[in-house]
Amino acid sequence: MVEIVAQAVINGLLIGGIYALVSIGVTLIFGVVKIVNFAQGEFVMIGMYITFFLATQFGIDPIVSLIVSMPVLFVTGVLVQHFLIRRVLGLNDLPQIFLTFALSLLIINVALMLFTANYRTVHTWYSDEAFHVGGLYIPVAKLIAFVVAMLLSGILWVFLRTTDLGKAMRAASQNRDVAQLMGINPNRVFAVALGIALALAGAAGSLLMPFYPAYPMVGQVFILMAFVAVVLGTLGNVIGALVASLLMGIAESLGIQFIGADSGLIVVFALLLTTLAVRPSGLAGGGRR
Amino acid sequence: MNKGQSRIPSKKLLRRRDFLTKAAGGVVATAAFGAVPLRGWAADPVNIGGLYPVTGSMAQIGQGCAVAAKLAVEMVNDAGGIKSLGGAKLNLILSDVQSDTTVTRTETDRLISGNKLSAIHGCFASALTLIASEVAERAKVPIITGSSSDMLNKGRTYTFTPFARASQFAKAQLQMAKLVGDKPKVAVIFENTAFGTSTSNGLKEQAPGEGVEIVMFEPYSAGFTDASPLINKVKASGANALFSVSYLNDLILIVRTVKQVGLNVAINGGSGGFVIPDFYKNVGKLAEGLQGVAHWNHDMSDDSQKVNAEYKKRTGEFLFEYAGGLVAQTFMLADALERAGSADPQKVREALSTLDVSTGYAAMAPGGKVKFGPDGKNIYGRPVGVQWQNGDLASVFPKEDARAPLMKS
Repeated sequence: MVEIVAQAVINGLLIGGIYALVSIGVTLIFGVVKIVNFAQGEFVMIGMYITFFLATQFGIDPIVSLIVSMPVLFVTGVLVQHFLIRRVLGLNDLPQIFLTFALSLLIINVALMLFTANYRTVHTWYSDEAFHVGGLYIPVAKLIAFVVAMLLSGILWVFLRTTDLGKAMRAASQNRDVAQLMGINPNRVFAVALGIALALAGAAGSLLMPFYPAYPMVGQVFILMAFVAVVLGTLGNVIGALVASLLMGIAESLGIQFIGADSGLIVVFALLLTTLAVRPSGLAGGGRR
Repeated sequence: MNKGQSRIPSKKLLRRRDFLTKAAGGVVATAAFGAVPLRGWAADPVNIGGLYPVTGSMAQIGQGCAVAAKLAVEMVNDAGGIKSLGGAKLNLILSDVQSDTTVTRTETDRLISGNKLSAIHGCFASALTLIASEVAERAKVPIITGSSSDMLNKGRTYTFTPFARASQFAKAQLQMAKLVGDKPKVAVIFENTAFGTSTSNGLKEQAPGEGVEIVMFEPYSAGFTDASPLINKVKASGANALFSVSYLNDLILIVRTVKQVGLNVAINGGSGGFVIPDFYKNVGKLAEGLQGVAHWNHDMSDDSQKVNAEYKKRTGEFLFEYAGGLVAQTFMLADALERAGSADPQKVREALSTLDVSTGYAAMAPGGKVKFGPDGKNIYGRPVGVQWQNGDLASVFPKEDARAPLMKS
């Protein structure tokens, strides 16, 4: 019994690490730029396809391809901010929602045209391997993904705490007008925020590739969990999103184990509703970052 | 519009030839009165509708179906077309149903009202075929399909299903489980959709009769991010066989997770996404020894191997279940047209209902015989058990259809 619970917690934690990379991106964009990026999942998908093609064409390991997928998506983020999002900022919320939603549909359908609906997988030597400890097992690919995800989250946290640019991002997110008065250039800060968020999505894509198949609609699978994690962990709060993602992974896994395999989302949403009822602004309360 | 224009010269050509070769009075009469019922129609191509999802979530399989449908029509035409109709060629009109039930309804309607169809085949997914067959029924156009839902045989008179029904698949799976293990303890996991629920219920109902014990029976939400918790549960159930009623993506994760856990179970992946080349491409060596069931397989007869070779030349992949089945269906339609001697859908329906073949491409079905009962079901229909062996899908069950021995995994 203890073993079953422990295994469920391990499974939940590992997948929670992937949820975290996606949700941190969403929450960062929301916190700094104040828009909801419905297309975040599609950038995960792009990261997966980049990784897939690097692996099949050049034999590059998915983990190594992080050094390609993250910069490519960082630049994509800066461009998306500069050419698209910047134009709708300051208007009411609707054009912003439509913009990212349309972007999501556009990317999915372009991917369908370019890559077809086929599933693509990358097999690495560690794809189907696992460490067996006692009666427990830890899949290698997921462990790598989890460790890298935590590392990247940690680096982001240090960046936001200690660098000038990071502080400027936090300032812009707390009060855009005052930040501007203090000499912070919001456009530059927003561009970096979008870049970082999309680079994280790209990282999630690369890390997923050794154990999850890529297909044009794959982003939709992860974006739902990311949205829940963002709300659960208090909108705009990076650490909150991280903790919430891990909690959700564990809750989902335990739910499947002890309630039923079709209860995964029920447990996650029950967790969300309970949290919101007790703490309406999420786990992190009113605190920011 | 195009059709109207092209019809005129061909009709003239034919009449001229008729005049030259046999100056029969009847022909003169029809030409003179301009009445065109029999002879005049003759060399007009016979329109066959094909409804497949070549875009959207089911596109992967739908596109293969479209290739096979074209191949089948070419084969019929190259062999001389429909002889009783003066060598009329089949003209395939494909329509994309976009993996969507609403689109399927409108596309079927559009296809039937916009073209003079003799028959339709489609749509691969049962959910789509149920709708298309409803529309065809109302328009009184026969539809022939490889979809396995038993619902297709209820209250329909224009729907023909030459292959095994969903209820028969379950029985074959249970019997195969007994062949690979002495005392099979089966875990059934299925996605909580109409497809998953109906198929798994068939397994549950027939298990006691087949002497198979089901130790776990668990629905899951389709499209999960992680199969580990589910496989964790299978492990705890002590099962030695696993039946997974899943679409391709979930099945890929399930198979890979079973390996990671190091769980030793005989997996039966059913049909659909399991029996297409893409499954092996995604799972690789882990697929070796996995069992499934299909309504058609590319190695089960000499004829099917011949068609498979041609399809492989065009696509580089083996002819998968559904696509192979629809080649046979096209030949069944050709057989019916031949006997009907007419392109009239009503007469084609009558001819289909009396179809009885046991040789040729039209008889490419497990068991090698096709004859429809009053409910449109092939009275000889049965599934074929398959197993992935050396990167190929081999027919292994029952003995009559087996081309390779069933390996114990």
